[in-house]
Amino acid sequence: MVVLMRRHFLLLAIAALALAQVRPAQDPATQTPDRVVNIVAERFTFNPSRIVVKNGELVEFVIISDDTDHGFNLAAAGIDAAIPQQGKGELRIRFLASVNGRFGFECSRACGAGHNLMRGVVVVE
Amino acid sequence: MAQAPVDTEQRIKDLEARIEELERKAQPAAAPAKVPVLGSVQTAPSAPERTAPAPPLIPVSVSGDYRTFPSTETRLPVAGYMDFHVNKDSGDPFSPDFHRFVLLFGHSFSDRVKFWSELELEHALVEGKEESGEVALEQAYLDFLITPKFNLRAGMLLAPVGIVNERHEPPSFNGVERPFVETLIIPTTWRELGAGVTGDLGRGFRYRAYVTSQLDATLFDAESGITEGRSRGFQASMRNPAKIGRLEYAGRRRLTLGISSYTGHTGFNLPGLNPRVDMLEFDGRYSVSRFDVRGLFVNTWVSRTGELNRRRQLQTGVNPNVAAQMRGTYLEPAVHVFPRRASNDLILFTRYEKYNTQQRMAAGFLPLGAFNRSSWVMGLTYKPNADVAVKFDYVVNGNKSQVTQAINGINLGLGWWF
Repeated sequence: MVVLMRRHFLLLAIAALALAQVRPAQDPATQTPDRVVNIVAERFTFNPSRIVVKNGELVEFVIISDDTDHGFNLAAAGIDAAIPQQGKGELRIRFLASVNGRFGFECSRACGAGHNLMRGVVVVE
Repeated sequence: MAQAPVDTEQRIKDLEARIEELERKAQPAAAPAKVPVLGSVQTAPSAPERTAPAPPLIPVSVSGDYRTFPSTETRLPVAGYMDFHVNKDSGDPFSPDFHRFVLLFGHSFSDRVKFWSELELEHALVEGKEESGEVALEQAYLDFLITPKFNLRAGMLLAPVGIVNERHEPPSFNGVERPFVETLIIPTTWRELGAGVTGDLGRGFRYRAYVTSQLDATLFDAESGITEGRSRGFQASMRNPAKIGRLEYAGRRRLTLGISSYTGHTGFNLPGLNPRVDMLEFDGRYSVSRFDVRGLFVNTWVSRTGELNRRRQLQTGVNPNVAAQMRGTYLEPAVHVFPRRASNDLILFTRYEKYNTQQRMAAGFLPLGAFNRSSWVMGLTYKPNADVAVKFDYVVNGNKSQVTQAINGINLGLGWWF
């Protein structure tokens, strides 16, 4: 009986320790991102157009337009959304950088003669 | 009869099993879908599906003031711009003109092969054998996207020279008409047939370099320099292809600096005479707080203009008096009355331009003061929407002529992009 009680106590102690190690999981959509990058879109550039982040970081892009509507297509994250035109607000996107590499993004709304080359790259390292 | 409840129970179990199986099958398609809802935070799955490879960048949320896309870039994006003007030179009545009706079409054959085009109707009407407007193909090219630093482009190309030639949507510049320097010294809209390379070199540097069809020296003149010599893709020649290049720096927010050059022979319609045109151009745009400033300097050299003028006089009876050098410069400060983030925009601007299509003449030819010109353009641009511009300006023109007096004018304009 004493042995059984000791075993139960030991198990309880281990469980308590394990629970103490586990922090409540934070929602990545609401937690503070590791990196915030402000991007300005303008015919026919993103500035900056090369963004370096660290593997494992929770990244947030805050994108505004200095002229017309643009689009932001980050295919590696499956994100494609409109950047509102100047004075109409901002686009915020978040992603977790989980694999090293170079991942292109591009304007996905026709914006003029240089639209095809309105691109940039996210470098995860 | 006694077995009926058992059958029913069994059928229910079978149906439940089928529903579970269908749910399992439907799961991979449903999991990655994050239907964006205006203004709300969308959370993507925290762990990737076991059946699908994890994306390298795991999407978490899309939020802000964005609008949803019905799909990704459409396979056939359609855009356009319109330019409606009312011009009045002093002493003349108001003259309305639907200057430009432009439709742009694109197509993505794949992520790496893309098409872009611009078809323009000028002055609202085209008639056979009558003086009227024009229908023109302004751009039509394919981009082969290889790496950010190196891509190929071919077709009808806009010459990458100056500020306005590649960015000529009405809301993107002040003034009802395009700057005189970017009309009379740098042709507008300057397009040629050709091919070339484009790319982003990193750290904000981008380039474009093309070989294109030639300018035609038989169409050069005193008033507008080389402008009328552009082929516009019609009966063009590439016997001696011209070379156009531009290097641009946009590495600092709201600052763009550019340098462009052009060199090419122009005598394909002049047997035994092949004048060369060289152009060098610098430009810049900068915005800080509510202030914008943009400026440009361009110089053009034309070789063998003495022989060209004499040859043309023999052919047509008129000396075109083409200059050996042409030069233009302008500076345009502007202020935004409302804060930059406001939904309405009111811009007050003034632009000083100096442009001389007879900067230097060949020996034996005299420059005419009427072509050594300057202009003050003062006005406003009101944008109730970033894509709609209501414009007004007053233009004070001047020249160095003792005989010809420059005419001032007022212009009203309505331009929009969609």
